[in-house]
Amino acid sequence: MIVPFAHVLVVSAVMFVLGLGAVLLRRNLILILIGVEIMLNGVGLALVGASALWQRADGQVLVVFLMALTAAEVAISLAMVVAMKRRKGSLDADVFRDLRG
Amino acid sequence: MSTVIFYVLSATALVATLLCVTRKQAVHAIVYLINALFALALMFYLLGAPLVAAWEVIIYAGAIMVLFLFIVMMFELDPAREAQRPAPARRWPVVLISAVILACSLALAFADPAGQAGVPGYYASPRAFGELMFGEYALGVEVASFLLLFAAVGAYTVGRGDEPAGGGEGRR
Amino acid sequence: MANLLYLLLLLPLVGGLVNALVGMRLSRRLSGGLAVAAVGAAAALCLWLYWLADGQGTRVSLLAWLESADLRVGFGLLFDRLSAPMALMVTAVSTLIHLYALGYMRAEADHARFFALLNLFVFAMLCIVLADNLALLFLGWEGVGFCSYGLIGYWYREPKNADAGKKAFLVTRVGDVFLAVALLWLFASLGTLDIDALNARAGALAPAALTGISLLLLGGAVGKSAQLPLMTWLPDAMAGPTPVSALIHAATMVTAGVYLLCRLFPLVSLSAAGLQAIALVGALTAFYGATCALRQREIKRVLAYSTMSQVGFMFLAVGVGAASGAMFHLLTHAFFKALLFMAAGCVIALAGHENDITRMGGLRRKSPLVFWSFLAGALCLAGVPLTGGFFSKDAILLAAFSRGDAFHWSVYGLGALTALLTALYTFRLVYLVFAGEARGGEHPAGHAGHDQPLPRVMRWTLPPLAALGLAGGLLNLPAGWPMAGLLDGWLGPLGGAEVRASHALELTLMGVATALVLVGWLLARRWYARFRPPAQGGLDRFLLRGWMADRAYAWLWVKPYLAVGWLLHRGVDERLIDGGLDGAARGIGRGGRLVAAWATGRLSSYLTALALGLGAMLAYFLVRQWAGG
Repeated sequence: MIVPFAHVLVVSAVMFVLGLGAVLLRRNLILILIGVEIMLNGVGLALVGASALWQRADGQVLVVFLMALTAAEVAISLAMVVAMKRRKGSLDADVFRDLRG
Repeated sequence: MSTVIFYVLSATALVATLLCVTRKQAVHAIVYLINALFALALMFYLLGAPLVAAWEVIIYAGAIMVLFLFIVMMFELDPAREAQRPAPARRWPVVLISAVILACSLALAFADPAGQAGVPGYYASPRAFGELMFGEYALGVEVASFLLLFAAVGAYTVGRGDEPAGGGEGRR
Repeated sequence: MANLLYLLLLLPLVGGLVNALVGMRLSRRLSGGLAVAAVGAAAALCLWLYWLADGQGTRVSLLAWLESADLRVGFGLLFDRLSAPMALMVTAVSTLIHLYALGYMRAEADHARFFALLNLFVFAMLCIVLADNLALLFLGWEGVGFCSYGLIGYWYREPKNADAGKKAFLVTRVGDVFLAVALLWLFASLGTLDIDALNARAGALAPAALTGISLLLLGGAVGKSAQLPLMTWLPDAMAGPTPVSALIHAATMVTAGVYLLCRLFPLVSLSAAGLQAIALVGALTAFYGATCALRQREIKRVLAYSTMSQVGFMFLAVGVGAASGAMFHLLTHAFFKALLFMAAGCVIALAGHENDITRMGGLRRKSPLVFWSFLAGALCLAGVPLTGGFFSKDAILLAAFSRGDAFHWSVYGLGALTALLTALYTFRLVYLVFAGEARGGEHPAGHAGHDQPLPRVMRWTLPPLAALGLAGGLLNLPAGWPMAGLLDGWLGPLGGAEVRASHALELTLMGVATALVLVGWLLARRWYARFRPPAQGGLDRFLLRGWMADRAYAWLWVKPYLAVGWLLHRGVDERLIDGGLDGAARGIGRGGRLVAAWATGRLSSYLTALALGLGAMLAYFLVRQWAGG
C-alpha cells in the first residue's frame, strides 16, 4: 500500500471543502446538515490515514468517537429541523433570524 | 494494485461528493452521499481500519443517512423552492474563502515532510483496537455514551412538539 | 487606691452616656441632677485623692488601647503635680457651672442633650489633663472639640448658631492637624508617645527638629486656644448657651493649648526659637484681644475677646519660660472668667435677654449680688492689686521683664500696654452695664422673662467663684510675702525656669502695674461713667469687627477655596470627568451598535464567519511552516 500520505490528505481536504461549500451556499437546513456530514467524513479520512502512517490505532478510535458524535448531532439537529418546520413552515435557514442583535 | 484501487476509490468518492453537493433534490443528494460513503469505507479498509470501515457502512450509510432520508420524505420537500440558489453576490466570497482554505490545506499537506512519506501497510486487528479503545480511551467511551443518551433524550424532547401541557416547550 | 483615679474619668463619662441614651425619658430635675452629681463626685474625688500627686505623682494604666509594632498606647493616667491642680480646677469649676446650668436651662426642652454634651466635655477635658501619653491626650483634644461644636450649635435651629459651631470646629481642626503632625513626628523620631519619656528624651532630638516640633505644637495650641492667627472662632462661639461659654470657652477648653505647652514644657523649652514664637504669639494675641474688646457691644463678645487676650498672657508666660506663671494665670483666670461669664448670663437675663451693653445700664440696683460678683470678677480681670488676677498677671510680666533682652522687653511692653487696655475695657463694661439708668427703653415691655426672678441656683454659684477669684493670688504670692510661691514650689521642675529678679525690681513692676490699672480705670470713668452713644468712626468699626480678621480670611482662604472648588466642579468634574465619561459611554455605545450589526441572526453569515476564521487559522499555520523552514 504505497500511497504518499499527502494524497490521502488531498482527498480529505477536497471532501472537506466540498462539504464546507455546501454548508455555506445552501439555504435548506437539511442540505446544510448533509454538508456537515461530508466535512466530518473528510476529517475521518485524514484521521484514518494518519493512523496508518504512524502505525497506531488512536486515529481510528477518534473516528469512532466522531461517529458517535455525529450520530448524536444528527439526532438532535434533525429533531430541531422537524420542530422548526412545524413552527415556521419552512426549512430556509435565513428565515430563522431570532438571534439578530 | 491496492494503490490503483485507492486512487479509483478516491475519484469515486470525490465525484460522488461533488454530485451530492450540486443536486437540487435532497433525496438525490443523500443517495450520492451514500455512494461516497461506501467508497470512503473501502478506503478505510485499505488504510488498515476494517472495523471503522464496517461501522462507516453500518452507522453512517445505514443509520444516519437513512434518518436523513426519513426526514426528507416526511416533509415531501418542494423541488421548486429547493431550486432557489443563493445570489451570486453572496456566492463569490464563499467560493473565495473555500478556495483559500483548500489552497492552504494542500500547501500544508505537501509542505510537511510527513506528507512525502508513503503510508506503510497497516492493519489494526479488532482485538488491538478494542484494547486501545476500552483501555486508554475508556473515559472517552463513557463520555460518548452519555452524549448519546443526552442526544436521545434531547431529540425526544425537541421532537415531541408543542403540546401545551408539554414540559420542554411550555414557553411560547 | 490609685485605681480610684479611673473614676475621675468614668464618672463624667457615665453621666454623659446615661443622659445621652435615656436622658429624654428622665425628668428635667433627674437628668440635670445626674450631670451635676457626676461632675461633683469627680471634683470631690479629685480633692480626696490629691495627695497621690505628691512626689513623682501616680501613674496608672487601665488597658492597652493601640498596639502595633513599636506603638504602645494605653489608657494610662498621669496624676502628677501639674495635672492634679488642673484636674481639680476643671472638676471644681465644672461643678459650679453645671449647677448654674441647672438654673440657666430650666426652660429648655432639650436638656438631656445639653447635659450629656456638658458631661462628655468634662470627660474629654479630663482626658487631656490626665493622659499619660499624647495619643490619649489627642483623643480628649478631639473630644472637647466635638463637644464644643455640639454645644455652640446647641440652638441649632438658627443657622447663625449652627454656623458658629461649624466655624469653631473647622478652625480648631486646622490647629489639630498641626498637633497630629507633631505627634507623628515625635513618634517617628523618639519611638514613643509617653509624655514623661518624651520630656526625658527630648534632648536627643536635633535642634531643627525640636524647633519644628515646638512650632507644630504651638500650631495645635493656637487653634484650640484661639490665639493669632486661628482666633476668629472664639467670638462667634458665644452663640452657645452662657454656661457653655463659661465652661468651655473661658475656663477650660481654651486653656488646653496652654496646658499642652506646659505639659511638654521640658521639650518645648529646649528650642529657643520655639519659645520666642510662643511668646510673640501670646503677646500679640493679648494685645489684639484687648483692642477688640474695647469696642465690642455684646457683653459676651467683650468677655470672649478678653479671654483671648488673657490666654495670650498665658502663652506669653510659657514663651518666657515661666510655665508655673502660665499655670498660675490659667487657674486664677478660670475662676474669674467663669465668674464673669456666669454673672454675664445673669445680667443678660436681668436685662430681659438683652445682649447689647449700650442698652443696659442701671443693673446695680436690680441685683446687688450680681453686681458685686461681677465687680469681683472685673477687678481680677483688670488686675487691681491684691486680687488673683493682679498677682498672676504680674508674675508673667515680671518673668518677661527679668529675662533682660530687647525681645523680652518689647513683649513686656506689649503686655503692659495690654494690661492698661484690659483695665480700660473691663471698667467700660462695668460702667456701661451697671452704672446710670436703664437704657433698654426701645425694648418691648412685655418681653417674656423680663421680670422673672433669677433662679436661686444661678445667683448663689457666683459668690464661691468670686471668693476663689479674689483669693486666687494666695496660690502663688511673689517672693517676700508670707506663704510665697506655693504653686512654684509645688510644681518644682515642672514649672520651668525660676524667675530671678531682685525684690526692688519686683516692687517697681508691681507699682507700674498698679499705675496702669489706675490710669485705665480713670480713663474708663471719664469716658463711660456717664453714658454716651457709641462712636461710629472707622477705627471703632475696625475694632468691633476684630480687625476685619473674618473678612481677611474670607479673602485669603475662603474665596480662593471657593474659586478652586468652582473650578473643580465646573471645569474638572463637569467638563473633564463627566465629559470624558460621557464620551467614553457614547463611544462604547457606538461600538456596541457596530458589533450588534454583525449579529444578523442569519445562520449563513455566522457560518461564513466561521469559515473565515478557519481560513485565517490555516493561513497562520502555513506562514509558520514557511517561516520556521
